[in-house]
Amino acid sequence: MNAVSAKLVVEGLSHHYPDEYTGESVHALEDINLELYEGELVSVVGPSGCGKSTLLNILAGLLPYKVGTASVDGNIIDGPGPDRGVVFQEHAILPWRTVAKNIGHGLEIRGILKSERDRRVQEFIDLVGLTGFEDKYPHELSGGMKQRCQVARTLCSDPVVMLMDEPFAAVDAQTRITLQEELNRIAQATQKTILFITHSVDEAAFLADRCLVFSARPGQLKEIVEINIPREKRIWADMNNDPDFITARDRILKSVREEVSVAKEE
Amino acid sequence: MQKKSSVSSLTQPGQRTAFDRFMWQFNQLLKIDAMNLVILVVVILIGWSIISESIPNPARYLPSPLAVVLSSVDMMVKGLLPSYFSDTLTRLVIGSAIGLAAGIPFGLLLGLNRTVADMFHPMMNFFQSVSGIAIFPIVVIWYGNSDMTVLVVILYTSFFPIAFNVLSGVREIPIRYVNAARTLGASRYQVMKDVLFPGAMPHIATGSRLSIGFAWRAVIAGEMLAGRQGLGWMIFTGQDTDSTAEVILGMVMIGLTWIILDHYLLRPIEADTIERWGLVQR
Repeated sequence: MNAVSAKLVVEGLSHHYPDEYTGESVHALEDINLELYEGELVSVVGPSGCGKSTLLNILAGLLPYKVGTASVDGNIIDGPGPDRGVVFQEHAILPWRTVAKNIGHGLEIRGILKSERDRRVQEFIDLVGLTGFEDKYPHELSGGMKQRCQVARTLCSDPVVMLMDEPFAAVDAQTRITLQEELNRIAQATQKTILFITHSVDEAAFLADRCLVFSARPGQLKEIVEINIPREKRIWADMNNDPDFITARDRILKSVREEVSVAKEE
Repeated sequence: MQKKSSVSSLTQPGQRTAFDRFMWQFNQLLKIDAMNLVILVVVILIGWSIISESIPNPARYLPSPLAVVLSSVDMMVKGLLPSYFSDTLTRLVIGSAIGLAAGIPFGLLLGLNRTVADMFHPMMNFFQSVSGIAIFPIVVIWYGNSDMTVLVVILYTSFFPIAFNVLSGVREIPIRYVNAARTLGASRYQVMKDVLFPGAMPHIATGSRLSIGFAWRAVIAGEMLAGRQGLGWMIFTGQDTDSTAEVILGMVMIGLTWIILDHYLLRPIEADTIERWGLVQR
């Protein structure tokens, strides 16, 4: 037993699902074991179809699973719950709510008083840099701002674990770099436990304390790469010259590439 | 070459004929909505009068506009017209209010679960296509020629279009919005209130207008076949007593009421909702 208690524990998780078109059983995950410790940012990378999104959906409680266990703070996951916040890849903030009302939605659902809600909402609006946009509707925001809004909404609910499903995949390259640096700052400021799914090796290595590399389907935990770079040092301008970063990134890249070639041969 | 120059000469400014200028002015005139309407109505009334004058026994086959106006004055004096009119309107308001109040939550509830929604979609489409008049015989068998029959038919005709529209609207809401609310801890009721209801808002507006339109037809048909009061009843008895002017008066009242209701109440509500939510949902 570790000195620091694990916030998220997955043991022996395997998953099959029927293919949407052919109906054939797809073996998505095989015997996944992982632990997320408090305040840790863990990234998951792997080739397309390695089951990383399936894993996230199971942890979010949106996908029922049969084999293995997954728990947060000792509570077995059996449906969605406010102890796990999700930042989706696509814009999932509600179009008919303003930025402030979207961010306060989780607190509203829990019946938190408006005065308390407003105070906390403002705190997270300021944290993600959306100050001045409180009363805007999502269609008035850029792609990057929509994702900031999603991150603020998730954090405002104060989940035990924040699950992020390729949150920056749909924004342009410049915005992505800014958002990565912002998330690094937010992770440092909030000390939130974060599971970050991505297909970008650079992104995974930049953000993570530990990076989990998944094998090609069926997804298995192939390798864990530790990246011991203090958060305050993680700025793209410096990271590109940081030997620790380069070593970690190259190792992850090599590992993922082997899997991509395996996936292609099949 | 020759052709090209002749075309260009035609399009030169200052070459317009007096006729072009007249047409332009005439078109400007036509742009005024009220003017359009007045001209159209006058033309129809004149045409109607001419036909009425030129046929034998117009009182039986096609009374003149004047005769219809006189009959309306007569019925106003007797107090029958206001009584019939308010009767019909009351039926419409009560019937469609209950129909909408039941249909909107029903559509939302079915939409809560995708599998249930997909299952019910064709069935709801089936029921909404069986129009008010087509379900009449079976309702008469159940309730006889009573006010109940009329109410049931109005309820049926207003319930299905709104429920079907709401269900369609809910099915079009991206699943990620529902998932987002669920991962924030929303209960089924909260998902309905915070995601499905606002998400289906444009469909609710369109469906309501459709429903009330169908209900209006159902009210008239219901009163004709099973009622003892109202505009539909007035038309029906007018036929029995050879009071053709009353029949036409009833028809005119039905059409005018709907135009006023639709133009000044339903359409603005629908347009506002769609514009506002369309903008919001972009």
